[in-house]
Amino acid sequence: MTVIKVPRPPESAFNKERRVSSLLRTQLEHLQEAEFRLPARDQTNIYINAIKTEGEAAEYIGQVTAKLQAAHALKGRSKVKGQTSRMPAIAAMAEKKATGNRKRAAGKSKVKASGRRR
Amino acid sequence: MPPGLDNLKHIVVLMMENRSFDHMLGDLSKTNPNIDGINANLSNTDTAGNVVKAQPLAQFQSQLDPDPDHHFPAVDLQIFGGNKSAGRAPTMQGFVRSYFNQQQDVKHSQKIMYYFPQNKLPVLTTLAKEFAVFNRWFSSIPGPTICNRAFAHYGTSFGKVGMDLFYANEPFKSVYDRLISANPKRTSKLYYYDQTSSTMEIVNLLQHQPELFGTYGQFLNDCERGRLPDYSFVEPNYSDHDGDNGEELASDQHPDHHVQAGELFIASVYNAIKGNPDLWKSTALLITYDEHGGIYDHVLPPACTPDGFVASPNDTGTGMEFKFDRLGVRVPAVLVSPWIPAGVVVDRVFEHSSIPATATEFFLGDYDQRSPREKAAERFVERRDKPLDSTKNLLSLDVMRTDCPDFELG
Repeated sequence: MTVIKVPRPPESAFNKERRVSSLLRTQLEHLQEAEFRLPARDQTNIYINAIKTEGEAAEYIGQVTAKLQAAHALKGRSKVKGQTSRMPAIAAMAEKKATGNRKRAAGKSKVKASGRRR
Repeated sequence: MPPGLDNLKHIVVLMMENRSFDHMLGDLSKTNPNIDGINANLSNTDTAGNVVKAQPLAQFQSQLDPDPDHHFPAVDLQIFGGNKSAGRAPTMQGFVRSYFNQQQDVKHSQKIMYYFPQNKLPVLTTLAKEFAVFNRWFSSIPGPTICNRAFAHYGTSFGKVGMDLFYANEPFKSVYDRLISANPKRTSKLYYYDQTSSTMEIVNLLQHQPELFGTYGQFLNDCERGRLPDYSFVEPNYSDHDGDNGEELASDQHPDHHVQAGELFIASVYNAIKGNPDLWKSTALLITYDEHGGIYDHVLPPACTPDGFVASPNDTGTGMEFKFDRLGVRVPAVLVSPWIPAGVVVDRVFEHSSIPATATEFFLGDYDQRSPREKAAERFVERRDKPLDSTKNLLSLDVMRTDCPDFELG
């Protein structure tokens, strides 16, 4: 079996100050399009035209990627919450009716307390 | 059914950036005449009238700066040499002129003809020699990255020839959607390098289906634990940036990123698969490039099945409409599997639609809702559910190889 040694580039190859290529510029624009669809509180407020270097571009790309994933995860959680809460909501409605009947029977003050909780 | 196809469970595609076939693999024709690479007659004429030969002088970095133009009008010049007449034919004589247009430097423009001697690219050239190399794998469009990558994900660019966004609600699903929504369900994942490099072209998928994505670290982990999905698409690192473990060097090989970083990355993907014996015997790895990046290649791009879209003269920037009826410039492509004999050279015509076509048809069989281009595309892995055309089957060995190379990363 042949073993082939693969050389590593010199340290000087790394240059996060390299100016942004048209490809990275496009990636920034695409991510910004997606970012603008997020709620305002979740946006970075970074002006991408001010991004000049690969390091700066990467910083923005990383932030927006994380925000897109977080927003989707949050959406997924609230969806699941909505779905799973449907059955308890029906149960709560039944409980409310039953409680109301009991409370009407028991007296006015407890009905108010129940109302505050809601 | 050949055991290579019987055993196949995973297809992995690694798509690099912006290098032509001749630039990366052209030197291989010196040792294997079946490979359609560089020969002594290949040249362009520069703007001063000098004949510029293709020469083995490519460097890893700092040579192709500025980034050679590879937008639609520039590629049109590269392919047709400035001829805009009706009935024109490709000549591949406009590469030096196109590069000259960027900074009017005659000497610098000649560097677009440079290619790598094979000993400078030990990973890609070894894989090309040891497995199957494609003599005719073309970018899908004579244009830039985004529209070409779209073909790898959707089998079409939905009429786009530039760097525009691709939104959801297009008529054809991505290959990932097709697989995960199939019955029985299939698995698929896009692995970008890290969150800071993220994904290219398919931001719409990241926005709406981030669960499709993983990092390269997860890819390595999935390989090690035998959890790789049926179909994986791997993206390199697109930028030099600071990461959790220090400096992260761009590995996409896009000029002016260091080419050796891409070599290491390709070797790392190969090692991750080969390092798990069960995965190695059940995986086919395709390594290709999205487009040629404006760099010289000598093979004339052929006509192809139109995909039903038309780009306007305004969109192409050439004053001519484009009917998606011809391919872009040739790019490197290598298929790796221990079931492929060493030294296979494939002469059939492939383009990036072959990627979703192969994954879809191999894992799902017949699938109608696809672009005409994709339906007509050649597959690099044959189907198991149809009678086998053994002349097309690349995983053809009866016994798995045990002599495949190993890469020791420096």
